[in-house]
Amino acid sequence: MMKNLENIPVEQRRRTNPLAHVFDEFMAFCQSRSLFMLHYCTGCGAVELPPVMTSRFDGERLGISPMVSPRQADVLLVTGYVSVKTLKRVILTYEQMPAPKYVVGICSCTVNGGMYWQSYATAKKLSDYMPVDIYIAGCMPRPEAVISGMRDLMEKIRTGKADSWKDYFRNYDHYLGQQQRLFGPKWQTPTDIIGEAEHYGLITKNTRGEHTRLLEEHQKRLEPLEMRL
Amino acid sequence: MSKELARWMDDLLQEIDTLKFERKNERRVRVDVDSKSVHSLLELLRGRASFVHLSAISCVDWIDEGQFELVYHIWSYEMNTLVSVHTRISRDSCSYISVYDIFPNCAFYERDIHEMYGMYFEGSPCMDKFILTEWDGPPPMRKDFDSEAWVNEHFDWQDYHPDWLQELETQGGGIAIHPEEQRFSRRNKE
Amino acid sequence: MRPENYEAKRQPPSNEFELNFGPNHPGIEGNYAFRVKVSGDIVLEGKADAGYLHRGFEKLMENRLWIQNIAITPRICVPDPVPMEVIYCLSVEDLCGQEVPARAQWLRVLQMEMSRFAAYLFYFGGLGSTNGMYTPHYWGMADRDLILDLFEELCGGRVYHIYNIPGGVRRDIPDGWLERVSSTFDYLESRLKDYDDLVFRNQVFIRRTRGIGVLNQQEALELGVTGPNLRACGLPFDVRRDDPYLVYDQLDFDLPTEDAGDNLARALVRRADLFEILRIIRQVIKALPDIDGPIRAPIPNPLAWNVPAGETYQRVESSKGELAWYVVSDGGDKPYRAHVRGPSQTHAVQVLEHLAKGARLEDIAQIMFSLDACPPEVDR
Repeated sequence: MMKNLENIPVEQRRRTNPLAHVFDEFMAFCQSRSLFMLHYCTGCGAVELPPVMTSRFDGERLGISPMVSPRQADVLLVTGYVSVKTLKRVILTYEQMPAPKYVVGICSCTVNGGMYWQSYATAKKLSDYMPVDIYIAGCMPRPEAVISGMRDLMEKIRTGKADSWKDYFRNYDHYLGQQQRLFGPKWQTPTDIIGEAEHYGLITKNTRGEHTRLLEEHQKRLEPLEMRL
Repeated sequence: MSKELARWMDDLLQEIDTLKFERKNERRVRVDVDSKSVHSLLELLRGRASFVHLSAISCVDWIDEGQFELVYHIWSYEMNTLVSVHTRISRDSCSYISVYDIFPNCAFYERDIHEMYGMYFEGSPCMDKFILTEWDGPPPMRKDFDSEAWVNEHFDWQDYHPDWLQELETQGGGIAIHPEEQRFSRRNKE
Repeated sequence: MRPENYEAKRQPPSNEFELNFGPNHPGIEGNYAFRVKVSGDIVLEGKADAGYLHRGFEKLMENRLWIQNIAITPRICVPDPVPMEVIYCLSVEDLCGQEVPARAQWLRVLQMEMSRFAAYLFYFGGLGSTNGMYTPHYWGMADRDLILDLFEELCGGRVYHIYNIPGGVRRDIPDGWLERVSSTFDYLESRLKDYDDLVFRNQVFIRRTRGIGVLNQQEALELGVTGPNLRACGLPFDVRRDDPYLVYDQLDFDLPTEDAGDNLARALVRRADLFEILRIIRQVIKALPDIDGPIRAPIPNPLAWNVPAGETYQRVESSKGELAWYVVSDGGDKPYRAHVRGPSQTHAVQVLEHLAKGARLEDIAQIMFSLDACPPEVDR
């Protein structure tokens, strides 16, 4: 069925409706006011998220609400240092989220490794592996700082500047290269990023490259994960 | 009661020639013992002196002497005393016998030492990787593994060059410190 | 993940299924995974999978100065950080043979008990959520924030305080702080009645937790269970009483116990513990104004501080159980080895795997929360 869909020619038409921009702005406004966030508790910062969401600071009055499944989430909160083992899961989660999607890096550790800069087990720069919209620095940032950062993100979404998710499709080769450097050349995820990039019309000359060729060499049909008990 | 028990244990342990006994304070005892007699000592302490709680097993890498030191910390709820049983194992052979039949909660600590130091425990219920399942380097807690070198090889650092800093750097200043010049980042090697 | 990328693996027909809990799952405490094999909704076997929060603390500490390490110690257990600071300071003081001034010791006790109270409120919130009751979570968080505000006034940090340093504490308490501590805990005590109505006398909670995750005394001792979880099996052991540190031998407090050893007993022990914590805090508040003197013993230049060679094993009681550190010094300016023994290393791995056998699938999260497992302590 997917094969048939690919054959349908997609025509890029100019938008002639004068109200189109108004409609876009309205859409962006609505999007910025209902953010479902998937908070992946990667580290210490997760302990300041319950205060943000509960009675005292009440993030829900801003339209921010937690969501348990990546398939329905808009925002991925990476709360704290990302160990290499977690990073694989974070990338899987990120790729499962539907576009438009936004990434917020909380704590200093996502910026530059923080106080674990010497550690062999934690990844240092989150933006090497996925595009990040907002960093909230601090160790750990207070709930007020988290709310302020989320408001900055809302403003970015409203003005249409939060489009870093497109970077992932446009520069997929770069991001994949960084991932392969850390996880080894056989690293692969179940999501077909290049297919999605085609779907969104975001293929550039940096989408494919040597790293995606390496991925295609190693790619095999996925089997259900085998578990030993 | 517990005072008498403690005195009895002190007397007994001092009489055994093959072990070195040292009472550090009221509730801490250090025992140095040959690696062959650890299990019989632990069994004796557990069975006859109610040391039922294995608090932890620590491993220390004495790289200059080519030895691993294993420390079994056991606690008696009746005598309120903690006995630390120290033993040394050659760094080359790197394997030892599990105490799983004496203290069943040793499984986590032995598994941890196995993946952090590469020491194998015969008879332990599970020696699979636990924390470092996605790690294929050498056992990281060994002294000869240089964490900083590994990090520099595998990760990039965030560039931070705002205008004000560039201005300073053109005048010969700046906040960047080369790793070789960082005083506190490495162990002194003298 | 597209269906056409998948090829179903041929496997013999069976009614057993394998299921992953976590690492990112609302029913799991923190970043931790638990894999279960189920038949129907009965769990046949479970395996813990840790390491998602591994930072290599023990390696990091070997590469930092004694004084630098204070900053990273509280990060080992996030909900209850103060015991980690205190135990590291106790270890260094023991290696140096340093005496801590009395006032600093009483201040440390006060902090530890405040931190324990905050951790228990966090615990009730988590345990309530696993039973579908979200109000305790909201209340517990709001009440915990009052304690965090006191900490913030004391040292500037909400969650990580770094108030203790080897030799004492960093600075004396602000003016009028003790009265505010006193009034805050008076308020919190008045709230406990509401918690009773909401959780501990609630039939939903009682029926949901009674008889689930039962641990008998012998299993508990064999598996090395400590702290409130051991007291829930009827064994009144506590490091504060049996192996006293700081000034706990001068304080008057009881060790509440329960006999059942199930999830309800574990929650009730902690609830009864809250009153003991209040008792200790009141004693400290009463005694502290009369204890004058320095808050810190002089330490040498911390940037060139060589701690004498030796080894020490220190234990304290954290909100989760027995917390112990083994610290070795070779006479250098950095620790030669620091080994962390957290209570969750037992509770979250072997005890959880043991209790999961035969439990029902919907109870796994509840058992994990009731054991008060703290994943960062397991991974370090």
